[in-house]
Parts: sequence; C-alpha cells; structure tokens
Amino acid sequence: MMMTDDDTQLDQLFAQARQDRPALPDDLAVRILTDAEAVRLNLTKPKRSAPRSVFRRMVEGIGGWQGLSGLAAASVAGLWIGFAAPDFLPDAATYLYGSEATFALADLDTSFLEDAE
Amino acid sequence: MRDLRPSGQIVRGADSAADAPADDVLLAMFAAGDAAAARVLTDRLGPRSYSVALRMLGNRAEAEDMTQEAMMRLWKVAPDWVAGQAKVSTWLYRVTMNLCLDRLRKQTPDRLSDVPEPEDGCASAAQKMQDEARRDALQAALSKLPDRQRQAVILRHIEELPNPEIAGIMELSVEAVESLTARGKRALTAILVGRRDELGYDDD
Repeated sequence: MMMTDDDTQLDQLFAQARQDRPALPDDLAVRILTDAEAVRLNLTKPKRSAPRSVFRRMVEGIGGWQGLSGLAAASVAGLWIGFAAPDFLPDAATYLYGSEATFALADLDTSFLEDAE
Repeated sequence: MRDLRPSGQIVRGADSAADAPADDVLLAMFAAGDAAAARVLTDRLGPRSYSVALRMLGNRAEAEDMTQEAMMRLWKVAPDWVAGQAKVSTWLYRVTMNLCLDRLRKQTPDRLSDVPEPEDGCASAAQKMQDEARRDALQAALSKLPDRQRQAVILRHIEELPNPEIAGIMELSVEAVESLTARGKRALTAILVGRRDELGYDDD
C-alpha cells in the first residue's frame, strides 16, 4: 500500500517534469544558430587541397598565380632585352666598364695577339 | 507527436512537424548550404538536448553550454552524416549525455575555481547541485542517483523514449537499460521517502 503511494508520487513527479520541460532559451537559440552559420559558411567555402606541394607553396610565396605570371612576363622580357636590346638601352659592357673600357679591351686584345706572334 | 517548439519567434521554419522534412534530410540540406535547415533543426532538436542536459546537470548555464556544444558537433558532422545510419535525435541525445557526463566528472576543479569552497570538492559540487534544485523535489532526488541510472530514468520517464532508443543512446543492451531504469526508479522512491522523513512527514 505504501509502495503504491510512493510509486504514484514518483509518477506524478515524472508527469510534472514532462509538463515542465523547458523551452529552448532564446539567447541559446541565437548562440546555436550563430555557430551553425559559421560552420555553414566554412562548409560552402571552396575546399583547399590538403597536401600542398613545394611548388605550390613557392607560388604562394611570390603572390599566387598572379605573382607567377608577373614573374614569367618579367623573365621573358629580360631574355628578349638580352637578345635584342633596343637602342635606347645601354649595352651591358659599356654600362659596366664605361666607353673607354671598350677601347682598352680592344687594344689589349690586339696587342696580346701581336706580342704572341 | 509533441510540439517541441520553443516559445521564442526565432524559428519560422515549417508550419507543422508533419510537413517538414526528416532530421537527416534537413541535415543534408544544411550541409549543402541551406541556412533555414539549421533553424528547423535547432527548433526541433535543441529543446530535447537542453531538457536532458538540464535534468542531468541541474544547472541552467551549464546545460546551455552542453546544448550549444552538442549542436555545434551536429553542424560539424553534417557533411559526413550517412543517411539512414542512425536517427539524428538519438545521436544528439548521446552526444549531449556524454558531454554532461564529462562535465560531471570534471566538475570539481571547475566549481572550486568558480566558488571559493572549502574541503571536499565532490561534496560541495553535489551540494551546489542540490541547492539549485531545492525547489524541485524530483531534481533533488535525481541528483543523488548514479549517473547511468539518472540517464536511463531521464530518457525513459521524462523524455519518454522507447527502451531500444535509450539502449542506442547509452550504448547498452535493452535489458541493461530496463535494469538501470528499474533500479533508478527504486532508488528515487527511496530518496523521496527519506526526504519526506527528513522533512517530518508521517505516512500514517
């Protein structure tokens, strides 16, 4: 008899607890949705390939593909200038040694040949 | 089906639970970038996680943290969710419960840093839990149960889940769940009787 009363009391407490089940507090819902948004934005971002090669890291080091294309353009231009320097650019040897050095080099060249013979 | 919608107006998802897609469909929609799916899932599952966390911990602030963390894990698992593998709600109950158990285990140092309390940390944590639940006789009694019994009783008698689902949540056999629930109920009855005696009530 006593057990039945106790069981009833417990069942009543359970029933009360089911009735009193809490709603999600609004601020908690906001926190949860803020998290969801952060994760969602991360999910929809384009994925980066996991293992990055040395080449890729080097490319990123000089500023990505734009940097690489700039570097390539500069290299091609440098090569072209080396082969066919425009008139307005000084000749490399003249630039380094001055115009007199060119003559001195020419003199040395011939005198050396003459002395040897 | 119970209406689990919270009183707030944050969620304006589906008109009724019957019209809305299943949880795993919503999760896939979320993984595909649908923000509205997150709102419906929060509306539907958030209160369940919060309800069990609150009953497990007896503390609102901690229960809120556990629910936020459990939901965070749900968002993160969304892209890898295998449809039909498990019920989303079962998974969330399990994650919530495990977070609560972890919190209960770690409670002593946390409490000590929060509140300058002397001597035995375990006793003070339990005491605080009881203090917070003083007005709720059931919560006070629940807080005295061993963790696993408390879990089983909450899921069975407050969440009203079927035993096989509880077995899935607790990763136990159905028989083990039945046993835990029965022992939990007996212990609760004894605690409530003891409490009544303490308070000076007489059965006769």
